[in-house]
Amino acid sequence: MALLAQIVVNGVLLGGLYGLMGLGMGLVWGVLNIVNLAHGALIMLGGYAVYYLYTGAGVDPFAALPLAMLAMFALGYALQRWLLGLVIRSAQLNTLLVTFGLDVLLSYLAQLAFSADLRTINPPYAGSNFALGPVTVPLAPLAAFGVALLLAAGLQAFLVRSRTGRAIRATAQNLTAARLHGVNPKRVYALTFGLGAALAGAAGGLYGVVSQLTPYVGVTLTARSFVVAILGGLDNPLGVIAGGVVLGVAEAATALYLDPTYVNVISFGMLVVVLVLRPSRIFERA
Amino acid sequence: MRSTHTLLMAAALLLAGPVRAEDSITLGAAVQLTGALANTGRYYRDGYQLAVDQINAKGGVAVGGKKLRLALKLYDSQSDVNLGVRQYVQLVRQDKVNFLLGPFASNDALDDSSVAEKYQIPMVQGGGASSQIFSRGYRYVFGTLPPAEDYFASTIAALGKLTPKARTVALVSADDSFDVSVAKGTRQLVAAAGLELVVDKQYPEHNAEFSSILSLIKSKDPDVILWSGHEPQALNFIRQAKTLGVSPKLLYSFTVGVPTADFRKALGKDANYACGMTPWLPSKARRDDWFGDGEAFAAQYHQRFGYAPDYHAASAVADVEAFAKAIEAAGSLDPGKVRDALARVDFASLYGRVKFGANGQIAMPQTVIQIQDDKVVPIFTDTFVGKPLFPLPPWDKR
Repeated sequence: MALLAQIVVNGVLLGGLYGLMGLGMGLVWGVLNIVNLAHGALIMLGGYAVYYLYTGAGVDPFAALPLAMLAMFALGYALQRWLLGLVIRSAQLNTLLVTFGLDVLLSYLAQLAFSADLRTINPPYAGSNFALGPVTVPLAPLAAFGVALLLAAGLQAFLVRSRTGRAIRATAQNLTAARLHGVNPKRVYALTFGLGAALAGAAGGLYGVVSQLTPYVGVTLTARSFVVAILGGLDNPLGVIAGGVVLGVAEAATALYLDPTYVNVISFGMLVVVLVLRPSRIFERA
Repeated sequence: MRSTHTLLMAAALLLAGPVRAEDSITLGAAVQLTGALANTGRYYRDGYQLAVDQINAKGGVAVGGKKLRLALKLYDSQSDVNLGVRQYVQLVRQDKVNFLLGPFASNDALDDSSVAEKYQIPMVQGGGASSQIFSRGYRYVFGTLPPAEDYFASTIAALGKLTPKARTVALVSADDSFDVSVAKGTRQLVAAAGLELVVDKQYPEHNAEFSSILSLIKSKDPDVILWSGHEPQALNFIRQAKTLGVSPKLLYSFTVGVPTADFRKALGKDANYACGMTPWLPSKARRDDWFGDGEAFAAQYHQRFGYAPDYHAASAVADVEAFAKAIEAAGSLDPGKVRDALARVDFASLYGRVKFGANGQIAMPQTVIQIQDDKVVPIFTDTFVGKPLFPLPPWDKR
């Protein structure tokens, strides 16, 4: 029983981080209709930004998150405005190709810039934990979970309450009507992609704290984000975090009760089930 | 005037142009220079290059009264096994290299070596230890990493001589070719030593999330954790063990990663107490015809590439040296003759004694090592050569 409780805690905490990864991908997907295959690479870049802020400038990783997010926002904004914006109205295959190419490019540039050495963001408290009854609660994953929730709630509030957030939702729902009301879609798209990249940046920093960075972590993280975005739906930020938690718990339980080598079967199996049962889910936008 | 000009051009070309094919021996390999395995693939790129340059600097390889230079033809397999196989075919069929060197990792070596066997071009590979590579009756494939099955042999022997005595073991291994072999051999070693296996879990190499396995281990509270996999996953395991407060009562040991500087750098002081193994440590005692000895090699390598070599790099050098020795013994570049000479080589090198068994694989003892105060300390070969930090303190007492 204690073991089961421990597994659930592990799964929930890890799932929160998965959720944050899926959040940025889901936002871009829902609003721009771009399945961003470079999302994992953006997570990786955010991770390195936090790594260098921590090891180079001594900024605490959690304090470095906003800085990394800001830098990633700028990068995302620029990518959308001057690269993806050029192909956004063409067939979806084209945006897939461009983001795939972007993923390859960013990964290889990262190896040139940062080398293939394994990097961990390892502040003194990274390995700390506390006991909650029979369960060990790891501190860094708990903090990462908190940050993920906070960012999702913030994004939710931003989309619902703020003028820009409403413009983003309006663009997703009806581009023509939004334009008639004076929304500039180019700007809205770039803002949204920037937000997606910023969220990826935060996820990367947290990922570096609980796991490790190499220039090539992106591909598996893209796949994970994709599953989470679909499980959580594209319409509700907190739903995406919930999707991540479901995935995290399912994976942790599979690893214990079935076999760790079945984890990918379960996560992608869940993806297939969701797509079969609720195909409309990925079309209900924002 | 015109003819003088042409002659001058021709002379210049002859002087400046590359060494003509018949004056050099080309060794070809497809190595992971980018992608997920680039971190370890670089040892092979740099090891091969250094060995080739050093052998050339010492005059090259004597074949039939002539001194031939070695040349290296490398492709980047991008950590993609299928691409690697195609590149080996290209090396043989289009580039027409004389001989083949190997990639890093058993999964890659397993597939790439089939190309060598198919075209009957000898391959000496220093990156794959799995017995799967050597159990197929291949004649053209040789390996300089000792068998994966025996990686934990010296560790388990050391445990038998330490008090308090270990009784229970948790075995955690990945699902790739190397780790499957390690796990298979380790189960037998554990049983033979009279130890009880309380956890035996396999994890997927491409999704190294250990929280469930670690929680299970914690509930069984074993004396020893024997962990098999590659370096990135080892880092995850140790970091997650710390965050979940999981520590075996006596010792934990990792097949790959512990000897590298990168491992210690990534983990900082959390790397301390980790045990591992290596068939090679830079030592003056290991004499070498080209580099002097193991220590001199390590210094030269570090100076040229800016990072310290580990056993992967030494194994890579031994592969090139094995070809140099075998080609000289064969007195020919004929693949069949060099293959036969490789089967007979027996020489001392900076890596150790190079002599292949009947299946093509080298046999070498693994030295048990432990990270102590950010340094790799040799602990045990067949007797203790250093003092282990034993038993392992729990995380909150380190």
